[in-house]
Amino acid sequence: MVLDPQLVWNGLVVGSIIAVSALGLTLIFGILNFINIAYGDYMAAGAYVAWAVNAQVGLPLGVAIVAGILTMSVGAVVLDKLVFQHFRTRSPITLLIVSIGLAFIIRNFIRAIWGPSGHFYDLPMEANPSFLGVRFSVEQVAIMVVSLLLLLGVYALLRRTRIGIAMRAASDDRMLSRIRGVDTEKLVLYVWLIGGAIAGLGGIMLGLDAQLRPNMGFTALIPIFAAVILGGIGDPKGAVAGGYTIGVAQEVSVAVIPSEYKFGVGLVALIVGLLTRPDGLFGEATR
Amino acid sequence: MALVDLLLVVGIIAGVYSLLAIGMNMHWGDTGLLNFAHAAFFAVGAYTSAILTTPPATGDLATRVVGFDFPILVGLLAGTALAGLVGVLIAITSVRLEGDYLAMVTLSSAELIRLMIHNEAWLTTGAQTLKNIPRPLSGMVSPGGTIPVSYDVFYFVLVWAIVGVCYLLFTRLSHSPFGRVLHAIRENDDVPLALGKNITTFKLKSFGIGAAIAGLAGGLWAHYVYAISSIMFLPSITFLIWAAVIIGGAGSYAGAIVGASVIVFLRQITRFIPGDVPFGDQLAYIRLMVVGAVLILVLYYRPEGLLGDAERLQAGTSE
Repeated sequence: MVLDPQLVWNGLVVGSIIAVSALGLTLIFGILNFINIAYGDYMAAGAYVAWAVNAQVGLPLGVAIVAGILTMSVGAVVLDKLVFQHFRTRSPITLLIVSIGLAFIIRNFIRAIWGPSGHFYDLPMEANPSFLGVRFSVEQVAIMVVSLLLLLGVYALLRRTRIGIAMRAASDDRMLSRIRGVDTEKLVLYVWLIGGAIAGLGGIMLGLDAQLRPNMGFTALIPIFAAVILGGIGDPKGAVAGGYTIGVAQEVSVAVIPSEYKFGVGLVALIVGLLTRPDGLFGEATR
Repeated sequence: MALVDLLLVVGIIAGVYSLLAIGMNMHWGDTGLLNFAHAAFFAVGAYTSAILTTPPATGDLATRVVGFDFPILVGLLAGTALAGLVGVLIAITSVRLEGDYLAMVTLSSAELIRLMIHNEAWLTTGAQTLKNIPRPLSGMVSPGGTIPVSYDVFYFVLVWAIVGVCYLLFTRLSHSPFGRVLHAIRENDDVPLALGKNITTFKLKSFGIGAAIAGLAGGLWAHYVYAISSIMFLPSITFLIWAAVIIGGAGSYAGAIVGASVIVFLRQITRFIPGDVPFGDQLAYIRLMVVGAVLILVLYYRPEGLLGDAERLQAGTSE
């Protein structure tokens, strides 16, 4: 079977969005140890704030994107103070259900403010150039470049800064890092700032690639979950690799199976992966 | 519509949701299993029963080629059985996983099933609605008929009779030796394991039975609403049922019924409010925000729920 370069390119674009989003979700899990079901709705909220600043206020798209990312970064911290902070000592399952309640609130807040139907970013209409037979749009290139920059940035943060090293330590062994003097609450603050910003960016990229809908983030959660699990839950490198893998597999599969089922590819990969490697592609058997 | 008629409709929906919550309470309340595929079991029950009892439409718009004319009872029983089977199949792939993984895999599996329903038009009418689903005894029940009550009264009694039977059955099951093993699994896997119980088999049975009841709820739903479509079975249904079980009190079947009724009432309450109030257009969204807020507040102030058992809270906390 010859791979169609167009499909591979599409897969890399979708994979970028999944990889970035999965990285945010997995970082949050690493520090807070629960699956945040509302994460998809953080993504949607970031996308909608950017849309409002761009289409309703009329500021340039670049400014709007920054506004969306900052809003979610601060928003994630505020929501933590309002909600999650009061459940720190509870079980991960309780936190997961709390995040379901929060997801209900955010999603329906979006519907109440901006309506249930779809919106589009105000993008200039231009012919899509092609290179070596692959058609691409300016947005797609932007998504790829921004994703790579973000991934490199987070990598540098985790490798080179004190806070990043503390995050990795806490994610590896919570108890030990606490004993060695890592301030967990400070880490939580940083991880929401970073995770919220990443969620906002992921949502905006989703909106650039397609359109904005109140449930856009929730729908995107399934491939994001698949990426997180493939990579080993809480493992940043794995989440990114899982994201690109799922994205490319999803788009390339269109050549073989009906395109309606491309979302199933990630799921099947997930289930097969879990049965063969319960700790993820890069996970070590520690759990 | 008079208030009584409205209450009957809300009551029927509450009954269907109560059955869903009873199934979920088997999974989470009794066994401590994180099932996020409930909407799919609901869908399998609804579609199975509908396909078995509704011949395919004819004409240009006919997309479905599979359809039968079996009695409704056959459809309901088949839907219950098939939903249970699907529950076991999903559980086989994932029941050995840790809680968080189980949540993500079951949620994803449910969406995969919905994707199939949405796309396999030859079987399910796909993206369109599957219409003309027959109502049980519809020819006999009418104010002037053999059974002289309005149809909603009849269906209300039918659904709540089934809820009552299920309540008794599941409460008994919960207190039986089988139920006690489930509770032991919920508290800590190692104890029943040490007693030589095959934990996986028990988990599969629990998953299957709970899913089957969700399938029965699906069948009852399909035969009441005439027409079903795949967007009725979004994951939000699963989350609402979770909210019902948590608010009612995990581990209590009476709690599951009360919780489901509270949730349905919260969702349907706007039907009783006149349309010219401020924010009238946003009411549908505001009430779901209220459900979310109630869920969080209950978890904070009364984690055992309205009728739950505080002792049960230890479940799933052992890392």
